[in-house]
Amino acid sequence: MNIKHHPTDQTLMDYASGTMSQAMELLVATHMTVCPHCRDKVAEFETMGGAVLENVTRMEMADHSLDHVMAMLERETANENPAVQELPMTRRIAVGESITGSAMPSIPTPLVKFLPDNVLSLEDVPWKTLAPGVKHFQLKSVESKGTVRLMKIAPGVSIPDHGHHGHEMTLLLKGSYIDDIGRFRAGDVADLDDDVDHQPIADTAEECICLIATDAPMKFSGFLPKLLQPFFGI
Amino acid sequence: PAEAKKCADWIVSVAAIRDREAFARLFAHFAPRVKAYMFRFGGNSETAEELAQEAMMQVWRKAHLFDPSKAAASTWIFTIARNLRIDRFRQRKHIEVDDSDTALIVDTDPLADEVVSRDEHAVLVKAAMEELPTDQKIVVELSFFEDCSHSEIAERLDIPLGTVKSRLRLALGKMRGGLEDLA
Ligand SMILES: [Zn+2]
Ligand SMILES: [Zn+2]
Repeated sequence: MNIKHHPTDQTLMDYASGTMSQAMELLVATHMTVCPHCRDKVAEFETMGGAVLENVTRMEMADHSLDHVMAMLERETANENPAVQELPMTRRIAVGESITGSAMPSIPTPLVKFLPDNVLSLEDVPWKTLAPGVKHFQLKSVESKGTVRLMKIAPGVSIPDHGHHGHEMTLLLKGSYIDDIGRFRAGDVADLDDDVDHQPIADTAEECICLIATDAPMKFSGFLPKLLQPFFGI
Repeated sequence: PAEAKKCADWIVSVAAIRDREAFARLFAHFAPRVKAYMFRFGGNSETAEELAQEAMMQVWRKAHLFDPSKAAASTWIFTIARNLRIDRFRQRKHIEVDDSDTALIVDTDPLADEVVSRDEHAVLVKAAMEELPTDQKIVVELSFFEDCSHSEIAERLDIPLGTVKSRLRLALGKMRGGLEDLA
């Protein structure tokens, strides 16, 4: 995977500080699974978080706080069974995409956890038709702020020209698309702020599947696109 | 630098031999800082105390997962506090990369072995942050220690959003630049 487009530094910093919506966090973690470059950057921002923690004005703990904690830990440790020490969680294996195509080899775990149980590959997603050549699937986020959905766009189809009220990120999972900013392939992230207007077009013979997270609704500019908006529900 | 290395050693010792003395030192150093962190988000000192205690208990329980070659003690404890805060205040888990993921792509071209250890690196970042001009430092602090977006930070400080973003960009640039100078 040859990733050319990454989330901005500010986005990665918000991820590291833990102040972004769950929708955005899901997208960033999915991208990081296939992007060592962004994993390094996030580690750097977490180091900054540690530095802020070191420099903060301390708040005294209550009297006997340590004794209290120690007593609870003693109890726990006494009951500790070394055989059941915390092991990595068993993970549902994401069987799926062939490695030969221009798709991710399998669905990264962060995303798999947000899909229905029987969905093991992008083909199994219970797609809903949105417009000719455009299907989508809304993922459940526990937070009301932000939305996250999968979108499947047939070759040559274009998403209506639109701008953004807030922050929108798109992660390509399969195929590619081109818009006013450039060409995006599997693994790439388009990290768009409110001031961008664009019209993505799935530009190859292959369908294009992407994950889109927004903090606010998209705004479409033309008349016809306005009609589409209720379908998008975003 | 000695301090940062000591903290890492204490965590390793807690993992290896359930070292109570090392834990007490970690507690003395980090608990009041984590309490301040929780207070900034929760606004209530009882909750902050309880969450700081819980975070320190996680340090004890998860000590065997700490890898000094990957993170400094302060970085690791920051992530524990962050995740616990999201869990309690936002009722969900922070979404992270799973290192055993079959989809994980590892770095085929890792940077030449780092010249400095994670501890030394953390100390450099801390020093670079202390050197920042106050207006930039405040924006960095608010980014990590308040649950607010950049536009909310702008509102709080009564400055335009663009200024928040440029201060943050400057701060990041300086912190990185400073690191390169020192490395
Ligand atoms: Zn990246
Ligand atoms: Zn868009």
